[in-house]
Amino acid sequence: MKAWRILWLALSFLVAILFVWGWQMLADYRIVSPVFLPGPDRAWRSLTLGFTTGDLGMKFLSTVERMFWGWLIASLLGIVLGAAIGTSPRLRTYLAPTLEFLRPLPASATIPVAIAMLGLSDGMVLSVIAFGALWPVLLATIHGFAAVEPRLYEVGRALRLSRPAVIFKIALPSASPDILAGMRLGLTVALILSVVCEMIAGRDGLGNWILLSARSFRAPDLYAGVILLGVLGYGTSVILAAVEGRLLSWRKRAR
Amino acid sequence: MAAAANMTAIENDRPPTVISFDTISLSYGNRVIISDLSLDVGRGEIVCIIGPSGCGKTTALRMAGGLVRPSAGSVRLRGAPLTAPRQDVAIVFQDYGKALLPWRTASANVSLAMEAAGVPRDQRQARIPPLLAKVGLAGHGDKYPSEMSGGMQQRIQIARCLAQDPAVLLMDEPFGALDAMTRQGLQDEMLSLVAETGTTVFFVTHDLEEAVYLGDRVVGLLPNPGRVGIDLKVSLPRPRNQLESREMPEFLRLRRELFDFIEKAER
Amino acid sequence: MNSDWWKGLVVPAVLLGLAELAMRFHGSVSMSLAAPTDIVIAFGRVLLNGSLLAATGGTLVSAGAGLIFGGFIGLLLGILFGLLAIVDRVMEVTIEAIRPIPSVAVLPIAMLIFGFGYRMEIAIVAFSCLWPVMIMTRAAVGGIEPRLLEVSRALRLSAVDRVIKVVLPAALPRIMVAFRLAAGIALVVAVTVEIAVNPLGLGYGILVAQQALQPDVMLAYLVWIGVIGWGLNVLLSLAQNRLFGRAGQVEVVR
Repeated sequence: MKAWRILWLALSFLVAILFVWGWQMLADYRIVSPVFLPGPDRAWRSLTLGFTTGDLGMKFLSTVERMFWGWLIASLLGIVLGAAIGTSPRLRTYLAPTLEFLRPLPASATIPVAIAMLGLSDGMVLSVIAFGALWPVLLATIHGFAAVEPRLYEVGRALRLSRPAVIFKIALPSASPDILAGMRLGLTVALILSVVCEMIAGRDGLGNWILLSARSFRAPDLYAGVILLGVLGYGTSVILAAVEGRLLSWRKRAR
Repeated sequence: MAAAANMTAIENDRPPTVISFDTISLSYGNRVIISDLSLDVGRGEIVCIIGPSGCGKTTALRMAGGLVRPSAGSVRLRGAPLTAPRQDVAIVFQDYGKALLPWRTASANVSLAMEAAGVPRDQRQARIPPLLAKVGLAGHGDKYPSEMSGGMQQRIQIARCLAQDPAVLLMDEPFGALDAMTRQGLQDEMLSLVAETGTTVFFVTHDLEEAVYLGDRVVGLLPNPGRVGIDLKVSLPRPRNQLESREMPEFLRLRRELFDFIEKAER
Repeated sequence: MNSDWWKGLVVPAVLLGLAELAMRFHGSVSMSLAAPTDIVIAFGRVLLNGSLLAATGGTLVSAGAGLIFGGFIGLLLGILFGLLAIVDRVMEVTIEAIRPIPSVAVLPIAMLIFGFGYRMEIAIVAFSCLWPVMIMTRAAVGGIEPRLLEVSRALRLSAVDRVIKVVLPAALPRIMVAFRLAAGIALVVAVTVEIAVNPLGLGYGILVAQQALQPDVMLAYLVWIGVIGWGLNVLLSLAQNRLFGRAGQVEVVR
């Protein structure tokens, strides 16, 4: 079984390489204007040049940093608030409709409001990212805590667990699959908002860089930036999936 | 009351009372669940509670566990009113699948009871293997509940209760969801565990044969509202045996009597 | 409906009341905030002069067209991958390489190719909607009872008939869920593109109001965008319940 899987993966890589080669052909034979689509060779050169002689590394890092801090704030806030709301049916009846109304609101629509209140500052960017990434975490956490098996709470009572013990030993682990799923979604939102904020507010980072590249028709730089963002999206989701797999290993070991 | 009249069938050489339900009633709004239920459980006794659905047998058990408080009357443990769960009263729930923490191994689930009691870590580590061995789970401590059969999961729950060093064990149809072979095995293991420690057992079941096989007494409740309808002493010799005990005339007589009681109660 | 519905209105009502009081007592002319009543008045103004409806139309057209294009491609790919395991496995690396690119990252590429306007916005929305529809369709098609496919083979249906008469109807409830999710994404992406670069629609409207230092108009737009997002969600949930009962609701979360 394992050998088959590796074989398929190798084949799949081959196909991907074929696509890159096709891309190269498109560019080499000028089937698509190089203004819009530079070949992978030029994008790659721009990428390596950006890292060796330019400050692409710095831009990459500042985007990562922005995304990470915003996401972290959102996660902590979301878990604490979500736990409070999720464990209290009364709070839920009062707050759920409001939250349901706010949930589909595009987080980017708060950017102009944030600019009006905080100006074009890093604080504005961080608030927007944290606010946007808060929703998936908050709603998933509420759901997770609300869905804890009532029998487990009863076990907690029967064993005379203290309230903190009930929260940390019963409710939190039980809600953790939902919380982690929410955090994963929140990270995607955080990355998107980091890029958007950089574009709008002109903060230094990958988002701003690709926008400027497009405006000045530096297509290779643009594609290099997009590739980097793809790598960032892929990398973060792999890391989170690994963390999730570790924390939730008990779920996989079914009979 | 008819209920009170039936209670006199018991002899007077009873051991000291551990749990006593003193004319308790329970109602939610207009619905009366239990009305004037009185029942004493003596030390070291195994009392099995049977009755048709809606007779409040599980509710009575939850009162003894301090999870529910009666609207009137009182539940007492060795004379003192019981108002909240206690460490020396352990509850085995029927739905072991829901009552175990799926993210903890068997050992860690047993450990939870001692964590609640504030037992230091090294003592917990030392006490878990013998507890698991007692319920026949030696060597399975690192498995998660989801990797175990229903019978093994219920053993974890029993081990967790034993970790509380309970004086009273409250069991709510603990073997109801298990297959016949597993159930008989666990019945005998429970009997020998209890015989060793002299634990008092309050055992709710819907299986009349199980009630007679396990119990020193079988109490039948009547429904709507719940009250005591019958209280029979089981004078089968101990240790009991799955084949011999179940063939004794006394066993058959009690089974018949309970069967008639249930039939009448359901009508 | 239960009798507690009004409790959900308490919190927003109190917050609005507090905001109104604070703005009135504070009395200053703010460049970032406005009293709720002023927002309502501003809302009436932009509604009457037609700018709000024009902007709403722009956003909804872009989001809708992008959803249709992206959804259609995603649907085709999803069916293809779901039915033909070989294609699915062979394309795995390629798909996994493109999928994690954040939707806004393709914004400058679309801008480069199409310039500003509807086409670039539609292209970005389509790219964003493609993936969720593809993945959920693939799962839906892959999850069809194998017996059904055997039956369709036994009946010697043509490949096209098999897809139209068996695969699509069987997978339809979950495909509907995919489109409902994608519709929400389409709106979010459209507004985002408008705020970031594209001079049309609600996103641009809110940005212009901010730059013109009209907080009442800006917040009116924000509330309106919220109402549209919420309304879209409610409408699609209702449609879904109407068509498939609760069957389609189950799979949404994971």
